[in-house]
Amino acid sequence: MSGPTFNRRTFVKGAGYGAAALAVGVPAFIPRLGEAADAIKIGVLEPYTGTYAFPGENETIGIQMAIDAWNKRGGVLGRQIEIVKEDEQSKPDVAAQKARKLVNQDKCVALIGTVSSGSSLSVQAASHDMNVLFFASGGHTDDVTGSKCTWNTFRTCHSTWMEAHATAYTLAKQFGKRFYFITPDYAYGHALQTAFDDVIKQIGGTTVGTDLTPLGTTDFSSVLTKVTPAKPDVLVVLVQGDDYTNCMKQADSFGLLKKFPVGGPQVELEPLYGLAPEARTGYWGIEWSYSSDVCLGKGNNAAHQFVKDYFAHYLNTQKKPPTARQCFGYVSMDRMLAGMAAAKTTDSAKVARAIEGEKFQSIFADGGYYRKEDHQLMWPMWVAKIRPNGTPSDPNDLFDVVAKHDAASIEQSVAEKAKICKITYPS
Amino acid sequence: MLVAIVLLALEPFFAPYIKIDVTIVSAALLFAIAAMSANLLLGYTGLPPFGNAAFFGLGAYGCGLSLKYLNVHFITATLFGMLAALLGALIVAPFLVRRRGIYFGLLSIAFGQVFYFIAYRFTSVTGGEDGMSVPRPYLVFSSFTLKETAFYYLSLVVFVISLLAFKLIVQSPFGRTLVAIRQNELRVRYLGLDSNRFVFVAILISAGFAGLSGALSAMLNGFIAPLSLDWHQSGDFVLATILGGSGTVWGPLIGSLIYEIGRDIISTITPYWQIFLGALFVACVLGFPRGILGTILARVGAAPLSNEPEEANWTQSPAIAADHRG
Amino acid sequence: MLEHAGPQIFNGLVLGAFYAIVAIGLSLIMNLTGTINMAHGSFMTLAGYLAFTMIARGTNFWFAFVAAPIIAVLVAVIVERTLIRPLYGRDPVYSLLLTFGLSLIAEEVFHVIWGANTLPFAPPASLSGTLALGFMNFPVYRLFIVVVLVLAFAALALFLYYTRFGLRLRAAVQDTEMIAALGTNTQLLYTINFGLGILLAGIAGVLAVGLLGLNPTTGNTLLMPAFVTVIIGGMGSLYGSIVGGILIGLATSLMTLYVPAASEVVIYVLMAIVLTIRPRGLFGEEGLFG
Repeated sequence: MSGPTFNRRTFVKGAGYGAAALAVGVPAFIPRLGEAADAIKIGVLEPYTGTYAFPGENETIGIQMAIDAWNKRGGVLGRQIEIVKEDEQSKPDVAAQKARKLVNQDKCVALIGTVSSGSSLSVQAASHDMNVLFFASGGHTDDVTGSKCTWNTFRTCHSTWMEAHATAYTLAKQFGKRFYFITPDYAYGHALQTAFDDVIKQIGGTTVGTDLTPLGTTDFSSVLTKVTPAKPDVLVVLVQGDDYTNCMKQADSFGLLKKFPVGGPQVELEPLYGLAPEARTGYWGIEWSYSSDVCLGKGNNAAHQFVKDYFAHYLNTQKKPPTARQCFGYVSMDRMLAGMAAAKTTDSAKVARAIEGEKFQSIFADGGYYRKEDHQLMWPMWVAKIRPNGTPSDPNDLFDVVAKHDAASIEQSVAEKAKICKITYPS
Repeated sequence: MLVAIVLLALEPFFAPYIKIDVTIVSAALLFAIAAMSANLLLGYTGLPPFGNAAFFGLGAYGCGLSLKYLNVHFITATLFGMLAALLGALIVAPFLVRRRGIYFGLLSIAFGQVFYFIAYRFTSVTGGEDGMSVPRPYLVFSSFTLKETAFYYLSLVVFVISLLAFKLIVQSPFGRTLVAIRQNELRVRYLGLDSNRFVFVAILISAGFAGLSGALSAMLNGFIAPLSLDWHQSGDFVLATILGGSGTVWGPLIGSLIYEIGRDIISTITPYWQIFLGALFVACVLGFPRGILGTILARVGAAPLSNEPEEANWTQSPAIAADHRG
Repeated sequence: MLEHAGPQIFNGLVLGAFYAIVAIGLSLIMNLTGTINMAHGSFMTLAGYLAFTMIARGTNFWFAFVAAPIIAVLVAVIVERTLIRPLYGRDPVYSLLLTFGLSLIAEEVFHVIWGANTLPFAPPASLSGTLALGFMNFPVYRLFIVVVLVLAFAALALFLYYTRFGLRLRAAVQDTEMIAALGTNTQLLYTINFGLGILLAGIAGVLAVGLLGLNPTTGNTLLMPAFVTVIIGGMGSLYGSIVGGILIGLATSLMTLYVPAASEVVIYVLMAIVLTIRPRGLFGEEGLFG
């Protein structure tokens, strides 16, 4: 029996490995587009599929705009800059794998990106393990510059703590001190809730109700019916993304938006465009706005030029104006390259030291700096009232900015942060 | 077999030329271990396991938590992970053994989702949707963290051991009984064997493999998040098995390589990679339901022990069906 | 606490009605051919997108409400003929995996055509607003959903029990071989059955996007509760899907009141209980899946 069986087995195995080898060999023939020999490569990790695809694409546009600006000026250290994009699919494990691939295989000297908190944290861990610079442009969880802070990671967007504090003060001043919360029942929601509770304690407010909505809640009717009897001064909606859209839509259908003022720590243009105008209302924390001088800074040429450039190159394809996500991407990339230029190297540790603590002016008002102690970008945050249909000249311009809070007043102090975050550089 | 090992062992040296990153292949190998766990239940015992991601996740969290709080050596942590997965299996297996066919599959989804929600909710333990970071392991005698290549060889070694173990199991009398259960459970019972007990053990073994895969994957990625417990992840394991060939020993590896590496390559080329992946699934189910390896083997005439496209289960004997019906 | 229960029960009933519409479509497809349609949610989303595009081009809501599901059915018929038909007679796992693959493709196709962002879809003015019900104000739109469910079920019952085609369909569920022997074109029957299921999915889809945001994954979020409904109500029983839906709706709503953390996982717990104790479900038929 050994003869034919032996032949069959080897044939089968050979065929199997042949197929595997083919699968393995084919990619060699797929070129990476436009690889210049001496370029500096930066790895961009964003979600291009799934719920966060739209913010991911927007961040990438901001990144690209920064690179185009630097390349026009001759690049950094005499070299042009290129980005290598990978889709991290908002999955932390994929994000970590792609991060390693970008550094080990594609020879990227730094990483930038992510939208979801899980991906931000996993890329932070992976990049720290590889001693590579990482700019978390869009993940909001406190831990990135809190308990999990690392020397190689800088975070551009505001932290959850900042979001909560910026809005809470404004909401209380505007409407009163009885709050009703709709909170997503997972880490992000809990963090926001804790931050809000902190403010409520400070101003002497009361929480008249908190509804924790678990993961996967698409129907908020059960939660929304409880709001009216509680008689709050303001309804605070902490849910984000798709949940935000569903919740606001349903709140509108229950007539709640006409009955109670509504607000929350953060809203972005992306989910707002997904709501019909009737549901676009309230006072929300925003991280940037393309149309308001309160955000851009009066006379801030760089900011106005940025918006102009976007309109010139991207408005036709994107159909929508720049959002805070473009801002995150741009600022992160811009400052990273500036750090490399200042340190005269792409070595991550040296660049990090060059960046931290350095004050700079950018495409937002008042300038900012990445704090040395935790690498959080300290920049203002704003609160806006939503204009359901924008302005007569621009129906996409939904933010009517009503307040500005500077960073020091809304983020935890250095002393408080020192309790949970200690940045140490490799020796 | 030797050829495969050698090829895989040399991969880190090929990597720059064929543009397949070592980390991705490590991930594929570990994925293959999880696919093997699905294969044991689906290909050999005939039960679709759509909840194995829960065991995978238990393994990952078990490993991560033990590294974090107990500061143990990484091998011990892996064992902790497998133990966690086994405990999880002990809880759900008594319920699962009582069902067959698609009921088994649905019940496993239900249990899997319960674990998923628990992982999401208990932020203090698991870190919730922020996930939990898991440190990379240290080698036994030295104290440097395993770099990519070293971890790759670790994965390869573990994979080969798992494959051998798997082969041993399915070729043992125990394994043959599982196949017999799949083909005709009634007859197995008539021969005096308690088929439920065999299924029970099969679930435990499957959980062990999945937990092993989970623990090592957590260390590879340096991270574990609740998404890894979702039924979509279980579906991915089943898919890799079917793609490669359920009911064969090497099938899961081939399926996993194609799935992981394919996904990585295509997602780099186009953001619309999901279309290709979906099309691959569809083509596989329609075109080669025996999986790639299974189809090749069938053509060559060496069809493995258990690999025919399933007839609808309602042709199963009434007596068995009566036992497992409500 | 009890005085809050009233509104929650009402909520639950309405939510359950919605799940029931989706579940009935799933159940129809499952009963006849054993096909587990993981792409059901994708068809729902498709109908939602089609309705949105039609309304954006100027048609009114009611026209879109009727037309979008019909177009979805046309797509479904093509899918059924080419992709699903080869799987009849095989283990349901295969249809599950194939339709799962289809749902992946569909999600990405929606992304390509309509973009990744959520699209603003609002119910027409005639259906907006609330109705004062004494103990609560209730959205008119949700009541509309209940009305649609009742009409749909009545129409379906009429079709199944008072037309010859419906007769054949019911007969085929019981004994496909016999009815083929008697000369019925079973392949056509399967196609029409699938189309019927998707028609209901399409209707549910258009209804859904009035409640939820419209993006490539909208339908998928409703898929699992629908499956759980079918299982609890019983595979093989359309009446069971309604009861199952109401049960799930009530469970979710009441849990929000008493144990909010569990309100989403409770449906899986229920599913596990039913599958353990009585897998055929409350009203299901024996031996349908062995």
